[in-house]
Amino acid sequence: MTEPRAGAPCVELHDVTVAYGRRPVVWNVDLTIDSACLFGIIGPNGAGKSTLVKAALGLVPLVGGEVTFFGRPLSQVRSRVGYVPQRESVDWDFPVNVTDVVLMGTYGRLGWFRRPGDRERRLARECLDRVGLADVATRQIGKLSGGQQQRVFLARALAQQADVYFLDEPMAGVDVRSQERIFRVLDELKAEGRLVVVVHHDLRTAAEWFDRVALVDRRLVASGSTAETLTPDNLRQTYAGHIDVLDDVGRAIAARERTP
Amino acid sequence: MMSIVLAETASDPGFSAIHAWAMATAAVIAASCGLVGTLLVVRRMSLLGDAIGHAVLPGIVVAVLAGGRAGGPLVFLGAVVAALVTVGLTRVVRAAGGLAEDAAAGVVFTSLFALGMVLVGFAPPGTHIDAACVLHGELAFLPFDTVPVAGVDVPRAFLVGAIVLLGLVVSVLTTWKLQVFTAFDPAGARVAGVPVGLITMGLLAATAVATVASFDAAGAVLVVAMLVAPAAAAELLTRRLHWMALLAMLLGVAGGCLGYLAAWRCNTSAAGMIAVVLGVEYAVAAVIAPGDGVIMRLVGRARLSWRVVCEDILAALWRAEEAVAAPGGRHVSAGRLPAAWWLATSGRIERVDGGWRLSSRGRREAENVVRSHRLWEAWLGRHADVPIDHLHPPAEWVEHHLGSAMRERLQADMDARTADPHGREIPPEA
Repeated sequence: MTEPRAGAPCVELHDVTVAYGRRPVVWNVDLTIDSACLFGIIGPNGAGKSTLVKAALGLVPLVGGEVTFFGRPLSQVRSRVGYVPQRESVDWDFPVNVTDVVLMGTYGRLGWFRRPGDRERRLARECLDRVGLADVATRQIGKLSGGQQQRVFLARALAQQADVYFLDEPMAGVDVRSQERIFRVLDELKAEGRLVVVVHHDLRTAAEWFDRVALVDRRLVASGSTAETLTPDNLRQTYAGHIDVLDDVGRAIAARERTP
Repeated sequence: MMSIVLAETASDPGFSAIHAWAMATAAVIAASCGLVGTLLVVRRMSLLGDAIGHAVLPGIVVAVLAGGRAGGPLVFLGAVVAALVTVGLTRVVRAAGGLAEDAAAGVVFTSLFALGMVLVGFAPPGTHIDAACVLHGELAFLPFDTVPVAGVDVPRAFLVGAIVLLGLVVSVLTTWKLQVFTAFDPAGARVAGVPVGLITMGLLAATAVATVASFDAAGAVLVVAMLVAPAAAAELLTRRLHWMALLAMLLGVAGGCLGYLAAWRCNTSAAGMIAVVLGVEYAVAAVIAPGDGVIMRLVGRARLSWRVVCEDILAALWRAEEAVAAPGGRHVSAGRLPAAWWLATSGRIERVDGGWRLSSRGRREAENVVRSHRLWEAWLGRHADVPIDHLHPPAEWVEHHLGSAMRERLQADMDARTADPHGREIPPEA
């Protein structure tokens, strides 16, 4: 599709503020990720990590700022940007099987009306193999364990063959073996020169998994290489919860706009 | 059975071409509703089908007042607009009043339906629309309004229904993968560039169109049954969306035909009888559904208790052997004789003087049951704070459910321990 502008960073968030309704929940985030790596977005529950990612992908409207991928708006580079939503965000009793879900990863490239053919099916099989699910290809998705369901989502993302991936809490409610498998695949993606951005809340594993991290708690606390960013001082600022001010200001904005 | 009824009825002189046309009309509209209903049901939007079924009324009436005729394009347009207005208004009411979505939809569609009922009063005499028809439709009158097609007088309602069915099948087929992606994971679909809003609006419009095509035949209330019941029944019977859609259409057609015939025989409301048949179809599906159906659940439970009885016999014989090193025959209580007979027939135990004895095959299986039991006791004793006299009951239950992989994991979790907390040896995997 569209070639990247020379030297443009993979992902750039410029002064991004996101609100649910009228109440801002993430404030003025400036974040640039300019090369392929494993990037963790870390912060406590309710810090707005998922919201920030959803806003970057156009799922939640921005109230301020802008987001670009390879120097372009998302609408021009959709096929290069992959998204793995939280596992709980979909109904796993939905009447489709594992291969059906993985094939959805190819739909963006196929356009609106072309159907997946042999090439797509072969790709889907390869992706399932890569996440270790080749033997459940025809199983109904509701019959899988949580870890397997998460790997199906990962296989779907692989089938998209994107350059930037956003994964929302891929390790939540997932058994240790699936976690290791998922992490190995993410590491391979990085080795292939792709950027992998992961929303994650477990500090313990964050330090060993990610090359770079952003600490987020309703605003960006710090970002950079994992070793330099996960400092006691930064962590205290992220997890100590001294930002009632932002909450109160947000509430005040919402209240004032409701009763002019 | 259905073909017998059909044959009998077709040869009945009272069942004329008029009835055949009415039945065919019921079949095509039920097929349309089954198709659209499938997408509504899997998207958890059945209630919206209900709302649209009611809310299209003012659209239809306004179109008729503006000179449109039943089944004409103006009426369809009015209905689609009314459906989209319903959904838009629901959002506005929800945002403005801070209501929950179901309450907002409830306020909007009942108000619009009421508005339609009021507007019906303004319709000039002779217009084909009245309050009673709006509620439950009237299949029997439809075949009298005909259009000549290639020399045959085809009822207008059938013609419209068939065109709508064709249109819906074509549009759903061409957008199938987008429909599936949007229904399963709207956020993922949006990021992938699927026009999720457009697809959803399309589904709402399709619901309105299917509803209008069914309106004269089924009315506002019973069309909901046609939208939801066949799709819900199909969802119980299959786990792939395309089969579900096809099955919902077939169930709709079957319900339409059987319901019409039954109503004709009993001389009662056709639309009512069709809805009753669709309800019966759902009930039957719930009973016979594979996996989660009533029958399969009973069968599953019976098979499990049979296996438990068999394994208990094997384990009891094994423990008896363990207690008295020399294997001899053991008594099996009378209540368990059928299971003992089965174990003997399948070569797991054999009869000797004074009772039964394990064969080598039975011994292997018994060993794994006892191994499961003692491993679980050992695991609980080590990893959970359970008093030693409380270990037996949970193990007695869990021993029937551990596979070899799980036993291996338990064993690995207990650094090569070979005895259970009571000091008895844990037999090796057989």
